[in-house]
Amino acid sequence: MITRITSYLSLILLLMVGNAFADNMVMARVPMKADLTFEHLKDAIEGHGYSVAHVQLCDGGMKEFGYKSDLYRVVFFGKIEEVSHISEDHPEFVPYVPLKMTVVAERGETLLSIVNPQTYAVYYPNDKDMQIQFARWYNDILSILSDMQKITGEKVSMQFVN
Amino acid sequence: MRKLILIGLLVWMVSSVQAAPNGRDLYFQFCNACHQMSGQGGIGLPLSAEKLDDVSDEYLTKTIRLGRPGRVMPSFNAMSDAQIQAIVSYLRKRTDTQEKVFDSTILVGDVNNGKALFERNCVTCHGSDGSGQGKGTGVTLSRDRSFLVMPPAISNPGFQASATDKMIKHIIKVGRVRSAMPSFGALGLKDQDLNDLVVYVRALGEKAKQAKRESIPEEDESMSHVVESPYDFDTTVNNLKQAVGGSNFRIFPDRFLEQGLTDEFSVNKRQIGIRFCNFKELYGMLKIEPRLGVVLPCRVTVMERKDGKVLLVVPNLRVVSRWFNNDELENLWNQMEEGFNEMIEEATL
Repeated sequence: MITRITSYLSLILLLMVGNAFADNMVMARVPMKADLTFEHLKDAIEGHGYSVAHVQLCDGGMKEFGYKSDLYRVVFFGKIEEVSHISEDHPEFVPYVPLKMTVVAERGETLLSIVNPQTYAVYYPNDKDMQIQFARWYNDILSILSDMQKITGEKVSMQFVN
Repeated sequence: MRKLILIGLLVWMVSSVQAAPNGRDLYFQFCNACHQMSGQGGIGLPLSAEKLDDVSDEYLTKTIRLGRPGRVMPSFNAMSDAQIQAIVSYLRKRTDTQEKVFDSTILVGDVNNGKALFERNCVTCHGSDGSGQGKGTGVTLSRDRSFLVMPPAISNPGFQASATDKMIKHIIKVGRVRSAMPSFGALGLKDQDLNDLVVYVRALGEKAKQAKRESIPEEDESMSHVVESPYDFDTTVNNLKQAVGGSNFRIFPDRFLEQGLTDEFSVNKRQIGIRFCNFKELYGMLKIEPRLGVVLPCRVTVMERKDGKVLLVVPNLRVVSRWFNNDELENLWNQMEEGFNEMIEEATL
């Protein structure tokens, strides 16, 4: 019963947040250095049943071409059954999977950014499955960022912008 | 019993929501990611005592409410007046500053003299159109951190609606501490010169508004471009690689769409991402918008469907660009969009 009540409350809370500030990006500032944050983030993602498909080292690429950059990485993650289903039924959505989260160093802290999956929902107004999919991703992203909070032992500031 | 608990919790939540808003908590939730709790800034401008000393609470309130359309600063138009007031009060307390109040008198001046003065004294930093010269706002990533603040976009409609004439005049007169903005009063501009400059800054705002109205394109609202190839899967992939190679991009190793999500034997090998990047452009774009990684790198996906059709799929960059609310990227997005289209056209000719 407690689980069910928690689910109801989470849903209500999510709806409240979503209604008040339904924006295109979800950002979080983590009070931890980027390399450490990056490692913990991978754990948090996998802890939610996603696989980290790969990591794009944008900073490495830029350095190779002579451009100075702080740590800048993009983590690609997803679930095989979701990606397979989407590529089968919605090929037009394929550019947006796997999901991508940026990890950007800002002095001793780290900024995480990801497109708010709810942003996609307006393109599928009558597709209940996709609406559920986007809501699920949104829920998981908030939960992953919440896990980062537990790991750092400090509150992680989440922002919904644009 | 379960219903009672639920109702009780709901009542508690609603009463919590209705309690007086806490400025620090709101700042933490909505401002910290860009401006940081200390106010030293990052993606967003610093909100330090030096910066808040010379502005009114009304300016801060309107800035939060309206944002800076076309820049990173969003419009928090869903916030209540009480919430915004709480954030402003928190900022005042944290920086130990008092607001400077300016009345809303509309200043009168000679726009031609204002233009001449602006071109002589202001264009180097603010740009000839007052847009801040396309260098973003906050100080982050690899950007030069010696400036506390990058030159603001004074022609931006959010700034224009938030700042009164007298506030703009005051800042021109006294300058900005710890920034490249000098005191033009100390440099010898007379009171009427300052008025003339303000009048010209307003004219720039009008011009920007007009330009924006004229540049609104007919929108293609689909999320992606899906093109059917006349060739088989392997030929299409090869054609595409040749087209990308001829377009001054660095090509990354191919990746199957499902690669990394399942074992190498189960992965669908008839869905492949051709990935590429121009690091010079990437560097320039990330300086303007550090969050761009969420849509990078450039990728064209080639997919063979069950019915044998081969599709090439790319994101619609005009749709994606709107998520960033950053006009400075518009030209770059358009160039990329054209580049994508040309490559796909070449691959499917």
